[in-house]
Amino acid sequence: MKIAGLKSVENAHDESVWAAAWVPATESRPALLLTGSLDETVKLWRPDELALERTNAGHFLGVVSVAAHPSGVIAASASIDSFVRVFDVDTNATIATLEAPPSEVWQMQFDPKGTTLAVAGGGSASIKLWDTATWELIATLSIPRPEQPKPSEKGNKKFVLSVAWSPDGRRLACGSMDGTISIFDVARAKFLHHLEGHFMPVRSLVFSPVEPRLLFSASDDAHVHMYDSEGKSLVGSMSGHASWVLSVDVSPDGAALATGSSDRTVRLWDLSMRAAVQTMSNHSDQVWGVAFRPMAGAGVRAGGRLASVSDDKSISLYDYS
Amino acid sequence: MASVYIPVQNSEEEVRVALDQLPRDASDILDILKAEQAPLDLWLIIAREYFKQGKIDQFRQILEEGSSPEIDEYYADVRYERIAILNALGAYYSYLGKIETKQREKEEHFILATQYYNKASRIDMHEPSTWVGKGQLLLGKGEIEQAFAAFKIVLDGDRDNVPALLGQACVEFNRGRYSDSLELYKRALIVHPDCPGAVRLGIGLCRYKLGQFEKARQAFLRVLQLDPENVEALVALAIMDMRTNKVGGIRRGVEKMHKAFEIYPYCAMALNYLANHFFFTGQHFLVEQLTETALAVTTHGPTKSHSYYNLARSYHSKGDYEKAGLYYMASVKEINKPHAFIFPYYGLGQVQLKLGDFRSSLSNFEKVLEVYPDNCETLRVLGHIYVQLGQVEKGQEFMRKATKVDPRDAQAFLDLGELLISSDTGAALDAFKTARSLLKKGGQEVPVELLNNIGVIHFERGELELAEQSLKEAVGDGVWRSFIEGKVNVSTADATACTRLYKDMQIFTQLEADNVNLELPWNKVTALFNLARLLEQLHRMEIASILYRLIIYKYPDYIDAYLRLAAISKAQNNIQLSIELVNDALKVNEKCPNALSMLGELELKNDDWVKAKETFRAASEAADGKDSYSTLSLGNWNYFAAMRNEKRAPKLEATHLEKAKELYTKVLVQHNSNLYAANGAGVVLAEKGQFDVSKDIFTQVQEAASGSIFIQLPDVWVNIAHVYFAQGNFALAVKMYQNCLRKFYHNTDSHILLYMARTHYEAEQWQDCKKTLLRAIHLSPANYVLRFDAGVAMQKFSASTLQKQKRTADEVRSAVAELQNAVRVFSQMAAGANLHYHGFDEKKIDTHVGYCKHLLEAAKVHCEVAQREEEQARQRLELARQLALAEEARRKAEEQRKKQLEKRKLEDEQKRVQQQEEHFRRVKEQWKSSMPASKRRERSDADDEEGGHSEKRRRKGGKRRKKERSSKSQYETEEAEAEIDDQEDEDAHLNYGEPADQMHDQDDEAEENAQGVLAAAGLEDSDAEVEAVPPVNASRRRKAWSESDEEEEQRPESSPVRENSAELQESDGEFMADKEKPNRDEAVDDED
Repeated sequence: MKIAGLKSVENAHDESVWAAAWVPATESRPALLLTGSLDETVKLWRPDELALERTNAGHFLGVVSVAAHPSGVIAASASIDSFVRVFDVDTNATIATLEAPPSEVWQMQFDPKGTTLAVAGGGSASIKLWDTATWELIATLSIPRPEQPKPSEKGNKKFVLSVAWSPDGRRLACGSMDGTISIFDVARAKFLHHLEGHFMPVRSLVFSPVEPRLLFSASDDAHVHMYDSEGKSLVGSMSGHASWVLSVDVSPDGAALATGSSDRTVRLWDLSMRAAVQTMSNHSDQVWGVAFRPMAGAGVRAGGRLASVSDDKSISLYDYS
Repeated sequence: MASVYIPVQNSEEEVRVALDQLPRDASDILDILKAEQAPLDLWLIIAREYFKQGKIDQFRQILEEGSSPEIDEYYADVRYERIAILNALGAYYSYLGKIETKQREKEEHFILATQYYNKASRIDMHEPSTWVGKGQLLLGKGEIEQAFAAFKIVLDGDRDNVPALLGQACVEFNRGRYSDSLELYKRALIVHPDCPGAVRLGIGLCRYKLGQFEKARQAFLRVLQLDPENVEALVALAIMDMRTNKVGGIRRGVEKMHKAFEIYPYCAMALNYLANHFFFTGQHFLVEQLTETALAVTTHGPTKSHSYYNLARSYHSKGDYEKAGLYYMASVKEINKPHAFIFPYYGLGQVQLKLGDFRSSLSNFEKVLEVYPDNCETLRVLGHIYVQLGQVEKGQEFMRKATKVDPRDAQAFLDLGELLISSDTGAALDAFKTARSLLKKGGQEVPVELLNNIGVIHFERGELELAEQSLKEAVGDGVWRSFIEGKVNVSTADATACTRLYKDMQIFTQLEADNVNLELPWNKVTALFNLARLLEQLHRMEIASILYRLIIYKYPDYIDAYLRLAAISKAQNNIQLSIELVNDALKVNEKCPNALSMLGELELKNDDWVKAKETFRAASEAADGKDSYSTLSLGNWNYFAAMRNEKRAPKLEATHLEKAKELYTKVLVQHNSNLYAANGAGVVLAEKGQFDVSKDIFTQVQEAASGSIFIQLPDVWVNIAHVYFAQGNFALAVKMYQNCLRKFYHNTDSHILLYMARTHYEAEQWQDCKKTLLRAIHLSPANYVLRFDAGVAMQKFSASTLQKQKRTADEVRSAVAELQNAVRVFSQMAAGANLHYHGFDEKKIDTHVGYCKHLLEAAKVHCEVAQREEEQARQRLELARQLALAEEARRKAEEQRKKQLEKRKLEDEQKRVQQQEEHFRRVKEQWKSSMPASKRRERSDADDEEGGHSEKRRRKGGKRRKKERSSKSQYETEEAEAEIDDQEDEDAHLNYGEPADQMHDQDDEAEENAQGVLAAAGLEDSDAEVEAVPPVNASRRRKAWSESDEEEEQRPESSPVRENSAELQESDGEFMADKEKPNRDEAVDDED
């Protein structure tokens, strides 16, 4: 299990790159890397050369997250001004512009079947679910407020930052500023329970593709936690980063974890050992996003790709094997 | 059985007296002797017999009777016998005098003896036996030279007089002339081969003193052959056996001592040696008994000294330093020259060292050093003392000398290393490493402490891998190894437990149930703690926490482990757990200043101001005000209290600030190199506007802080940047903020970004300001203040762009775009305001929205103007270009026409030219139609407005400047100005409310309106600034908190250092103990 640098693009954007996602391959083209930046653009890159496919404008204030539909045809990008732009990957035609004021927009993810887009709603302490056919807001999953909120406490502790679908699409997890992770039953639009253990913002969440209950969380406390999302238990805790863990992703084979951190490194974790096996220090600033390319054929690890994006304006591509 | 016959007077008969049947009452015999006028030699024989039988009283009775005046008279002509009787008495009393320990009785005995001898001399001046007796007496009295003269008289008369020879030999022995003494003993033996064994004892002693141990041993053995009960010989042989230093030898020696003791329990030397032996077997009770007896039976200085020394050592090893010191003192007093017996000096030095009397200790050790100038132990101890006395240089000199004297003495290197640790870690590390390799070479086990120290120094120097190696070696094998190597799966916890992970001890009980050996030897605890601390530094928190927990599980009183766990959970923001852990620590020691300080910080984090202050006070008191940390915390507390801007009370602020300064100064007085206190003092100075001084302080602190990995002092960077900012040096301020952010926070601190944004704002770098704020929002999404500020920045950018005299349409367009963004940001906030996300006044945001919208309106006009201008420019350009093109075309046409003329195709060409021209016209029209229709009137209106704007603006601008000043000063919060600012702030509010109303009311009157709005705008601006300020201020306060945070963080981090130093002290202790041990070994060598 290792990653090896394939290609890096310096100054891929004019400003910090904050978001990355892979657009799955379609019949006409291979998978593309989608990146979003403070420079208000979204760019598409073709691996392995990381050739710039297209630059999408249309956002004001920095782009904080990008997400791709499992079909690979459409994608969404969101910025600090709380607009979500849904567009056709190949033509860049705007399909929809979503907003649900006063809710902000942070991380987004399409459900595995591609029928719903889940959007972390920031200060609204909720996840917004959008129908991908009609682009109507179909549900708002709110985190129940604590029984007796202290009047002295300013700000909203349940500020939702991150969101993740379980591989079967039945559960949604969201991470908040106060470190709690909330699990929802999507079908019933019902809050199930909290997962505790973090006390600092959880900026990234991902379910294991092979063990549907297993959830990984990245937090500002420099730890990655492994939870049994159903059993409400903390399975493991992994430390090693020197600063905030900003992003986490699981490899398609479910054996490895990649994390990006404010300590400027990308780490590869062997889940069987629960230990970091590799540390990449090629970025010179915070690594805001890491993303494994979804596997075309299941079961083969060869040809795996990992991308990382950073405040240093660069993007990097690695071979994962 | 031998008998004496007392001749019966005037007859041939004799009375037979069986010597073994002497009557108990000597008077019976005396009666017979007197009645029969028996010869005096019979008296003597009988007296002697009594003496032999131990009937001393009878012996004395007879002799005293025999030397009475009537006898003198009666036997006047029997001179020799009379002398013999007197001499016998003299000898008896000299003996009594010799063995008597009480000075007065002793002297009385000697006086009696002298009287008898003098009487004997009066009978016959030349009787040798009298002289011999006198010589013995003088010897006993210690008057060696006179004794020598007495014996000489005898020997001059008869050079083979055995008693005189023996006496003289004794004199020579005491004079230290052992070979002369030996000669005399030999002669005595030749003259009188059958003399008692005691003579050979003398020979043995001489041989011994001359270093001829084998011959000495033979002599002693011979003595024992002749007299198996000779105590001296036994003791001498025992000593020789003991000195072989072999187990067998020592055992034989002790056996002999025992025998000697049984024969004669009052031989001081035997007692001393036995005591010495029991000292090493640890039977201190026996030691004390024996030495006390020895002291009671001897007056001999060196022997007494030895006895005192034994006693002192016994108490010393029992830890009763006071008593030990007294006895060492007594021992030293018995010694004339330190050369004779140096050990008590050493012991005394040690005890004084222990009791903290360094000066006296120093002088004692220096005496030892005089005798043994190359003694490593002494050199090391002296080094240590000099360090204690603050003469570090000299101390190191001694230590270095010690290492030079014996470059293979690992202990010396160890000590040197420990000495250097505080001054020169590099050299200390070298010394430690040498010690380690020496120990390894010698096949000795390297002590845990040494490895620990090496590890810690590497740690301090940031050589974490080496540190890890060394610390791992120090802790060796144990259950921790499987933790570190991840062999034991440790992390399983259900949801309820995962927030309390660091208190979970279940894994240990589980492991014990699985029969895993959890043993943790006490001497490895420190090393294990340091290892855990190192793993923490390497961000391997899980393992670190398990190791800490293991320490607590095995040693529940180990406070530092609790504190570290508390620090870890605090770093993860798990405040509740952290407080619990600190409280656990306080259960161990409720007065632990570190724990209290930490608790205070945690309470601050929970916004428990009053509680926190009390806790800090308690911490400070617990440490007698000597703990600079708690004092600093109190200082910080006061500073923050002064900076609170919710409750404005200028007087209170001033007192708080003063108090803060006082506390910082107090710490600085105690520790003039305390960076945090210096930083605090700098902050207070900066608050008072003394920027140059404070900058100097900050810069120095920054330099000083760049040395160690344990000192992370980002605050000072921030403070320097603040000062630059306050002085208007924006570029440098930004640079400083950036460096700080990158160096200390992995670019994750949104507060510093906010400071940067503010600096950009002041520098009117709107785009940088906005970008910085966006980054901050990205880092800290829930902080709506940042959004508000971003909105303000965009509004400001647009306003300033629109107010520029010259701007391109693009600029205007981007200004409009930014305005739209600002509107969106503000209106989003307004929408969210009723959700109580943030503490913003809904109205205020509405006003911003209103203003921005108004600006947008205005911008439309600007936009049009700009576009029109641009278009005009473009049209002009186009016209020129057309002209040029037409010209060109004409020229070409001309040429062509010429050509065509020549070729007679002129007509066709003309058509083409016409077509071309038509094309141009079409293009022109296209351009025209693509532009919105422009109205001149509007434009002039706009111009007018603009004029009004700029005029008004200039005035407003002046005021604004002032406001900025004041807001700046508010930033630095001088309380008086803050007060003013406060008022201004409120004024601004008032003013601001009015024009805003005007804006609605006077909508019709265009010009007035514009001015009114502008006024509103100006105020709005300043209001916006003011608005922007409090967040900054608030965050500055937060920052100040984080300052303490940081320190707090620093605190636990410094805890290993402390730990360390504690460890050093510990090993110091060991180092002392070690030193005592070799010393004791040496003490075996002593001999008086």
